[in-house]
Order: sequence, then structure tokens, then C-alpha cells
Amino acid sequence: MRDRVGSIACGAIVALAILAARPAAIAQQTTVTAFAAASLKNALDDVDQTFTQNSGMRVVASYAASSAMIKQIENGAPADVFASADLDWMDYGAQHKLIREDTRVNLLGNELVLIAPKDSNVARAEIGPGFDLAGLAGNGRIVTGDVRAVPVGKYAKVALEKLGIWGAVSPKVAMTENVRAALTLVARGEAALGIVYATDAKAEPNVKVIGVFPADSHPPIVYPVALTMTAKPVASQYLTFLRSPAAQALFEKYGFMFLAKTPS
Amino acid sequence: MLSLSPDEWVAVRLSLKIALVATAVALPFGVAVAWLLARKQFWGKTLLDGLLHLPLVLPPVVTGYLLLISFGRRGPIGAFLADHLGIVFSFRWTGAALACGVMGFPLLVRPIRLAIEAIDRKLEDAAATLGADRLWVFLTVTLPLAMPGLIAGLVLCFAKALGEFGATITFVSNIPGETQTISAAIYTFVQIPGGDAAAGRLALVAIAISLAALIAAEWLARRAGTRFHGE
Repeated sequence: MRDRVGSIACGAIVALAILAARPAAIAQQTTVTAFAAASLKNALDDVDQTFTQNSGMRVVASYAASSAMIKQIENGAPADVFASADLDWMDYGAQHKLIREDTRVNLLGNELVLIAPKDSNVARAEIGPGFDLAGLAGNGRIVTGDVRAVPVGKYAKVALEKLGIWGAVSPKVAMTENVRAALTLVARGEAALGIVYATDAKAEPNVKVIGVFPADSHPPIVYPVALTMTAKPVASQYLTFLRSPAAQALFEKYGFMFLAKTPS
Repeated sequence: MLSLSPDEWVAVRLSLKIALVATAVALPFGVAVAWLLARKQFWGKTLLDGLLHLPLVLPPVVTGYLLLISFGRRGPIGAFLADHLGIVFSFRWTGAALACGVMGFPLLVRPIRLAIEAIDRKLEDAAATLGADRLWVFLTVTLPLAMPGLIAGLVLCFAKALGEFGATITFVSNIPGETQTISAAIYTFVQIPGGDAAAGRLALVAIAISLAALIAAEWLARRAGTRFHGE
């Protein structure tokens, strides 16, 4: 009986020792936490992998609508880097002292496109003022991000208003919580049409681009990035890497326009 | 501050509509299945019982996903219903009602089944010997005696339908005016900077509706109990 207790106690001590050693080992590898717009997912995952290979630092990226991400940062989420899909949410972060203005830089650009399921009968069209989008959708829905908050939805609404068709289109609009959810609904054939970024359409084989919204119908689509107020000092290395030629090559491969000049 | 914006009112009305339709449509099926499980023995009874309780135990998102692949526009049942009967569940409040009905079904059946099982069979037999056929016995003896259980089942199903989130958002996503129920609206508002006030207002509405439903159910059950059991 005493031997049993003795051996159990030894086993427990050894187990505890192993468990205590593990966190120490993990702590040696620094982690950068990035909160990024949903549309950045594929490209940023690749960029993060290259960064880890080069620097040994792990990147944990969380993707959601930019509005949701800045809200989480406001509520104290431990992010080091914030990458937004529009300037508004980065400005919100600046106003509420959530990001470090001196680290803010415009990193990428994008285009707004109209997509349909791959096997849809809808033909390519030229999108201009008075474009009959409502007619094109027929009985189906046009899905995009929430026009009240999600960047792609906001760009879409401004573009539709500028083209003079928002009134006709708005009853047919279905809003999702981020651009990738809209993309998935079109890819699954649940929605007749969708308004997403050109890079999303490129990343999803089950959709096809029907038309491109003219660049002057909406504010320029700009992705600013910045360090948060609570960022670790090493996170600035990550930000520098995002502006490097290696990262530029990856972003451009996915269809983004690279706006940041590499710091000399 | 306490008055609801039009968006919020839409979510409230939609929630009530979906919950009422889901409960109303589930009711006849629920009573039938409850009676079957309470009074009949048949091959596969345990399997039916298991399947019935599946939505209660599965993660709601899994139930929503299963609904999506079977009742979605490209799913086998969904495509059939859309092409031949014109019934569409994708993106529509009907899909949300289906999700809520499926999730609430086990909660509807359990209390009714327990109530029917508790009824003294001799009362039903007595009615039969006095000349009543099976349906008449059911309507005039079984159902009234099971009324407190029926009310409990209805309330639970309605409450579940009103609060359903995971299966609904996976199946028909979160479209304001069509499938954005109170829960989904709160979820959306909490993700928008500055949306906390709206989320709070909707939460208060949800609490008020749930309390009202519970109090009404309690009162109805007590009345039914007094009338039929003479307490």
C-alpha cells in the first residue's frame, strides 16, 4: 500500500516537472498576434509562414470583418498588429487611441467586383451608371458584407449609390458579417450574385467575375496596417516585413496592389 | 435610449414570427410522435427516440450544417422542394423556422410523452368500452389529461425557437429583415463599434418576452391542472 502511494507520488512529481518545463520552452518562441481583415486570409497566411521561416517568430492571425476586429481591440483583445480593409476603421482606432499612429502605413489596394456562382448563366457585363443589377439578380439575392459596418459592404453601398441604383438594389441585398461569408454563399450557389473584392474572387474557384465596379464609384480601397498600443516591441519587425519585397511578391501573387514603399 | 430603432423592431417581429410558426408547425408532429413513443411498441422505437433527441445533443452548428446540405438550394430535399413545390428555405425566414422547429422538437416531445405515459390507461379503456373510437378517446380523454405536459412542451419549444442561434446562422446566415432574429441581431451589434446600446435594448426585449411566455405558461398549466385534476 505504501509502495503504491510512493510510486503514484513520484509519477505525479515527474509529470508536474514535465508540464512546468513546457511553458518555459514555448515562451522562448515569441508570438506576434495579428488581427486582419477577412479578405487578407490567403495572402497573409503565406506571408506569415515566410516571416516565421525568416525570423523564427510565430504569427497567430485572427481574421474577421475589420469592424469586429477593432471592436475586439477596443475591448482589450491582445493584438499586436491591426490590418484593416478600409481607412475608416483605422481612423476609429486612431481616435480611440487603440493604434500607434506613428506606425500606421497604407499597405495594399484592391478592387470591388461583382461575382456569380461558377455555373451561373449570368454573362459578363460592363458596370456603369444605371446598371440594371436588380434585374440581373432576378429572384435571387445579391450578397455582400453588412453595409453598416463591414468595409466591403460600405464600399458596395457607396458604389451602388454613386451609380444611382441603390434604391432598386437594396431590397435584394443580403448582408453577411464579413466578405468571406458572402463569397462562400455565392460559391455554394445559395446567392445569385455577390459583391466582394477582386482578390476574394481570385481565391475562390467556384465563383466567376461578372464585372468590375469603376474605381471612381467608391473611395479607393486601401488596407492600412499599424501596431496597436499594446504591441510587443518585436512586432515592429513583423510590420517591417509586411513592407518588404518578399511580402510584396506574395501579396501581388494574390491580386493585391502593393502601396507601401519599402523603408530605405 | 430605450426605444427601438426600425432595424431592431424588424428583428423582434421576425423572431416572434419564426418562433410561432416553428412551434405551430411542430405541434401536430410533436403530439403524434409523443403518443407513438408513449403508447406503442414497434421495431426501431429506440432508434426513433435516439434520432429525436439528436438535435438536443449535437452542437447546434452541426445541426445547421446538416440542414444546409440537405435543405439548401443544392441539397437533395431543398432542390426538390424548390423545383416542384416552390418552397425555398435558403436565405428565407422559412429556413430559420425549419431550423428552430428542428432544434425545439425534442423539447416539445418529451413533456408531452411523459404526460401521456402518466395517464391511467384504465380511463382510456373505460372510454373505449363506453363506445368511443380511438380518435375520440384521444381527443376527449388523453389530450385534455396531457394538457399540462402539452403546455410545458409548447413553452419550451417556443423559448428554444425564440433563442435559437447556432443552427439558424449556419443554415440561413444572418440577413437583416429575413433571417436576423433577436439573437443574431445582438450578435451583429456586439461586433459593431458603438452597437452595444442596441444589443442591450434587444437583450431586454428578449428577457421581457421570455418572462411573459413563462408566466403565461405557468398560469395556463395551473388552470388546466385544476380543471382536469380537481386540485
